[in-house]
Amino acid sequence: MKKQVANFIVNGRAYELLIEPRTTLLELLRNEIGLTGTKYGCGTADCGACTVLVDGKSTLSCSTLAITVRDKEILTIEGLAQGTVLHPIQQAFVDYGAVQCGYCTPGMILTSKVLLDENPSPTREEVKEALGGNLCRCTGYVKIIDAVLHAAETRGKGDK
Amino acid sequence: MYRVLRPFEYFEPTTVAEVVEILSRYDGKAKVLAGGMDLVPKMRRRDLSPEYIISLQRVKGLDYVNGDGKTGLQIGALASLRSVELSPAVVWDYISLYEAIHQIASVQVKTNGTLVGNLCVATPASDVATILMALGATLKVAGTGRVKDVPIEDFFTGPGRTIMATNEIVTEVSVPEVPPGTGGAFLNLTRVKEDIAKVSAAVVITTANAVCQTAKIALGAVAPTPLRCHQAEALLTGKKLESIDSELVAQLAADACAPITDLRSDAEYRKDMARVLTRRAIERALERAKS
Repeated sequence: MKKQVANFIVNGRAYELLIEPRTTLLELLRNEIGLTGTKYGCGTADCGACTVLVDGKSTLSCSTLAITVRDKEILTIEGLAQGTVLHPIQQAFVDYGAVQCGYCTPGMILTSKVLLDENPSPTREEVKEALGGNLCRCTGYVKIIDAVLHAAETRGKGDK
Repeated sequence: MYRVLRPFEYFEPTTVAEVVEILSRYDGKAKVLAGGMDLVPKMRRRDLSPEYIISLQRVKGLDYVNGDGKTGLQIGALASLRSVELSPAVVWDYISLYEAIHQIASVQVKTNGTLVGNLCVATPASDVATILMALGATLKVAGTGRVKDVPIEDFFTGPGRTIMATNEIVTEVSVPEVPPGTGGAFLNLTRVKEDIAKVSAAVVITTANAVCQTAKIALGAVAPTPLRCHQAEALLTGKKLESIDSELVAQLAADACAPITDLRSDAEYRKDMARVLTRRAIERALERAKS
C-alpha cells in the first residue's frame, strides 16, 4: 500500500502529511497532528464522539478515510475557542453543567454548531433530533439540551 | 473491534466507466466507497477487508436530487440521505420518503451516507428500501458499456445481496410521479430511536373518484428482503374507499411475511406488529390521499 503526501487544513492551519489510504481522519487528527480533543468512542459510526466538521458538514472521523478529505477545511473542537475566550456554545455547556466526564462533549458541541448555523432558533424537539447521532453515558442529556438552547439565545445577541 | 484498518489499494476514478473498469479488473476483490457509513465500520470490525477500494468522490454528476411529484424524482448515487431529507420536492411531494429518512437518528450518518449506498447495502430492515418499494422506485445499474433499469422489487435477492454483478454499480434511483389523490405513509418500530427497525410498513395508495386505483404495500425487517404484499394489495385495488377493511388487508400482509427471531425482536411479535403497522399505514395513506 503506497503512502502519499496530502494537504490538510485543520482549524485554519495547513499540514502536509505522509499518509496511507487506510489512515482514518480520526487517527490523522489525534496521532499525526496531536489534536486529541476529538475522541475515539465506538469506532463504528454509532456514538458521535469523533464528530468533526468538514467544509461545515458534520462528519464521523472514525469512519472517514483521511485521504478523502484532503484539501478541505476541517474544524475540530480545538478550533472553536479564540485564545482563552470560549465559543458561546462551549460557554453554555460550562454554565449549564452539561459536561460530566467530557468525552462526548466535543462531538456534542460541534454537532450543536451545525444545528445553530442552520437553525438559529431551534425548538427543544429540534435540538433533540439534531443530537440524535451523539450519545452521552453520563448526563442524561437534559443539561446538554438546555445548554444548546441557551447558546442559541446568546448567539443571537451578536456572537458567532 | 480493531483500531487499525487492514491495508488496501485506493483508487479515485473520475467517470463511471472507469469505476466499472477497475471493478472488472479486480473481479470481486474491490469495494466501492461513497459515504463509507457502512463500509468503514464493517472494515473496522473486520467483517470485510477489501484489498482494493474505489472512491466515487471524484466522479462528477452523481450528486443530485432532481424533479418533483409532477415529473418524478431522480436521486443520484452520491446524494446524501440528508440532502434527500432536506429537499423541498421530497418534503412536499414525497412525505412518506421524508418520514422514512427523518426517523434515522444520526445527522452525521445522514450527512455522509448516501441513499443509493443504503440500498446497495441491502439490509432487509432498510427503511428507505421499504418506502421506495411502496413508491415503485427503479434503480439504474451501470455495467460494462451499458446501463439497465431494475425495478426495486427485483433488486434485492437476500440479506445483504442484490442482483448486481461484482463489476456493476447503481448510478441513480428514480421514483415515479405522484398522481393527484395519492397518499403514502411509513411507520416502523425500534427498541430505541437510534436502532435499526424491528419491523416497518410502507403503504402508497392512489385514489380517484373515491375508488382505490393502485396500492403498494411493502414490509421491512420481516423477510430476507423488503417485501411487497401483492395479495393484500389486491384487496385494495378497485375497492370503494368507504368499503376498505384495513384490518383485513393488514392481516393478509402480515400473513405474507416470514420474520425471524434475533436480538432485536422475536418472530411472533414482528408478525403481529407487521399487521398493526400496516393497518395504521393504510389508514394514514388514505387520509393523505383525501387531502
